[in-house]
Amino acid sequence: MSTREWLLTEQPASRRQARLGQSYRTWLAFRRNRLAMIGLGIVLALVAVALLAPFISPYNPIVGGDLRTERLLSPSWQHLLGTDDQARDILSRILHGSRITLLVVALVAVIATPIGLLVGTTAGYYGGWVDTVLMRLTDIFLAFPRLILALAFVAALGPGIENAIIAIAITSWPPYARLARAETLTIRNADHIDAIRLQGAHSARIIWGHVVPLCLSSVIVRVTLDMAGIILTAAGLGFLGLGAQPPQPEWGAMIAGGRRFILDHWWVATMPGLAIFVVSLGFNFLGDGLRDVLDPKAQK
Amino acid sequence: MKHLPKLVGAALIASLGLFAPAARAATPPDTLIQAWAIDDIISLDPAEVFEFTASEILGNSYQGLIGYDVKDVSNIFGVVAEKWDISADGKTYTFTIRDGLKFASGNPITASDAVFSLRRAVKLDKSPAFILTQFGFTADNVDAMIRQTGPMTFEYEIDKAYAPTLVLYCLTATVGFIVDEKLAMEHAVDGDFGYNWLKTGYAGSGAFTIREWRANEVVVLERNDNYSGPTPAMARTIYRHIPEAATQRLLLEQGDIDIARNVSADSIDVLAANPGLAVDSGVKGSIYYLGLNQKNPILAIPEVRQAMKYLIDYATIADTIMKGRVTVHQAFLPRGFLGALEDTPFALNVVKAKELLAAAGYPNGFTVTMDTRNTDEITSIGTAIQQTMALAGITVEIIPGDGQQTLTKYRARNHDIYIGRWGPDYQDPHTNADTFARNPNNADDATSKPLAWRNAWNIPEMTARTDAAVLEADAGKRAQMYLDLQAEHQQTSPFIIMFQEIEVMARRANVQGYVVGPSFNDNSFRAVTK
Repeated sequence: MSTREWLLTEQPASRRQARLGQSYRTWLAFRRNRLAMIGLGIVLALVAVALLAPFISPYNPIVGGDLRTERLLSPSWQHLLGTDDQARDILSRILHGSRITLLVVALVAVIATPIGLLVGTTAGYYGGWVDTVLMRLTDIFLAFPRLILALAFVAALGPGIENAIIAIAITSWPPYARLARAETLTIRNADHIDAIRLQGAHSARIIWGHVVPLCLSSVIVRVTLDMAGIILTAAGLGFLGLGAQPPQPEWGAMIAGGRRFILDHWWVATMPGLAIFVVSLGFNFLGDGLRDVLDPKAQK
Repeated sequence: MKHLPKLVGAALIASLGLFAPAARAATPPDTLIQAWAIDDIISLDPAEVFEFTASEILGNSYQGLIGYDVKDVSNIFGVVAEKWDISADGKTYTFTIRDGLKFASGNPITASDAVFSLRRAVKLDKSPAFILTQFGFTADNVDAMIRQTGPMTFEYEIDKAYAPTLVLYCLTATVGFIVDEKLAMEHAVDGDFGYNWLKTGYAGSGAFTIREWRANEVVVLERNDNYSGPTPAMARTIYRHIPEAATQRLLLEQGDIDIARNVSADSIDVLAANPGLAVDSGVKGSIYYLGLNQKNPILAIPEVRQAMKYLIDYATIADTIMKGRVTVHQAFLPRGFLGALEDTPFALNVVKAKELLAAAGYPNGFTVTMDTRNTDEITSIGTAIQQTMALAGITVEIIPGDGQQTLTKYRARNHDIYIGRWGPDYQDPHTNADTFARNPNNADDATSKPLAWRNAWNIPEMTARTDAAVLEADAGKRAQMYLDLQAEHQQTSPFIIMFQEIEVMARRANVQGYVVGPSFNDNSFRAVTK
């Protein structure tokens, strides 16, 4: 029996086999979606580039070359994407900048998703005044435009990449809470939840062990689709001088720096802009693909 | 569907409009249009104006008692004043007003107007009032110290025998401009000397009258037919608020404006190469410097300060990032001032800097923060400095912030390094000596907070020398005193003075006669022709 047959068998012999088989089927469905595969490719490339940045960058991203001779050079074989006003190689900066982008995306996902899940499932599970309090709190956060709220937080905390991440995380959990609550409402009275409750399980155990896993897939889809927005918010904060600080090669800050030269030296602002565009597109494709395979309501 | 033909017709007309060749824009022949970031204007009252843009507007719409030659500022001459006499004790100046001058309103200019204007500035006590009050005027004594003695004469009595050039230069500042007493008092409310009205109003006698100021939008000036000098060729001058240098450049290239006032260093060459355009520049009095806070124990070590002076590549920054916008200058008096020191003893020298750091006990460098205003120019200079400092192991962490944030921190002495730009308030050397080399009280609660105080630099001896220079009447001796002060200051101070600013503007080639002076109220478009 080949591995593939073992995974796709109609009669799994163990729980593990069933779970792996289900994952494999999901993967097969995902793989049929070409755009999703492109998105996955881009995201994997981003991760690879971020890991290998010091080894594949041709130049130092922070220390520039000779200001007198290597400033604002157009793209050439020496500098594939040209150099900026401090004589730094733009390709190297973009490659290193991917680390910052990935850091922002990963940390925001790690911070915001659990908060959103916890608030949403708690509100949905308990209902009543707990629901009212938590959801009104969520409403307050949703009432502000995200970038403006993030700006206010960064202005209060001080500029810097850590504070930008905190600000973005604080502003991005409410949609997840809403989503998780909606999912919880549909399952909290399901038979299997009632069965666990009858067995005497504690509420925390029910939420964590049985409600959260059922909400997780739709929240993951939502988070992935939000990644592009998170990247853009981080770049926006960087553009406004409130995100990563110079000389860090943050893409948004690079665009802000290159804006002055856009008439005569287009590549300085364009290259980091393209990087943001490609990565955002990659996350969107990936998110769309994940929704197609993970969202049970969208099954064809 | 009976409207269909009408709709099609409308669509056709609309699309014709879209595809019609764009008409070549040109500004009217009797109107000068400038694009500039004019968001700094907060008032148009001479007693309050202390901002670059508003100073320039007042310089073209008001007149002072005296003025100076913008090419050679040591040549001082009377404007509204015909002549002045200085008493033997050097404390009383008697001014005589020129006959036959009129304000734009038609009112004649008399000694009463001059006395009113100066007393008004002292009594209102706005930001620039210190330029006058440093001579001992207060709201209580000014009526006795500045007194009218005849229809066209008045006396101006100061508390000490300051150098005459200092006294006279201070009167050339915008705060000393002559306001139309009758007109201002017509608009006075609750004894405010017309302050609320003059914020947006106009009561002067200059070549142009201020017709309108709409904040962050436009300032419109019109020719003053009662002006005593040669009649300007332009009937109207308009400042449009266009903050982005790139936008200004596009408008200039299209001919929508006559002059672009914000020109980025990297576009100077491109603009100069365009045959339809020309680039003018003039050396300004502003200087770029680093302030090293002496409250930081590392920066307080003299060798460390000295080492840092060798870790900036002055020449390269001036030739590349700031090309055409700055020249290297390393003393606190800008070129063109009495007694300005033009030596530039410091250049990038990593070996020497490392020796000095080793002597100071920091052979491997250290880490400091630098508060950097997030404008393009300051950030670029800061980044370049960060790179050269790193060559000797000094890690400079840049903390960007907007002007308000960084300045607040600087004024509270909470910074390590502050990268700043300082513009002199008037043309006398005391204006900069007063702030860079004078710190009468270094306590946290001091009332006077010059730059030396902001960097917690305690200098009782140098303060005394600066005070002595103010009282020296002989210009030659006084110049030597300032040269000596600067030579010492250059080596020992916690200020790393780097550059002097050059103001650059780009104009359509047919616009002639714009004068770029050493300070902003000297920029003059009186003589502009098209």
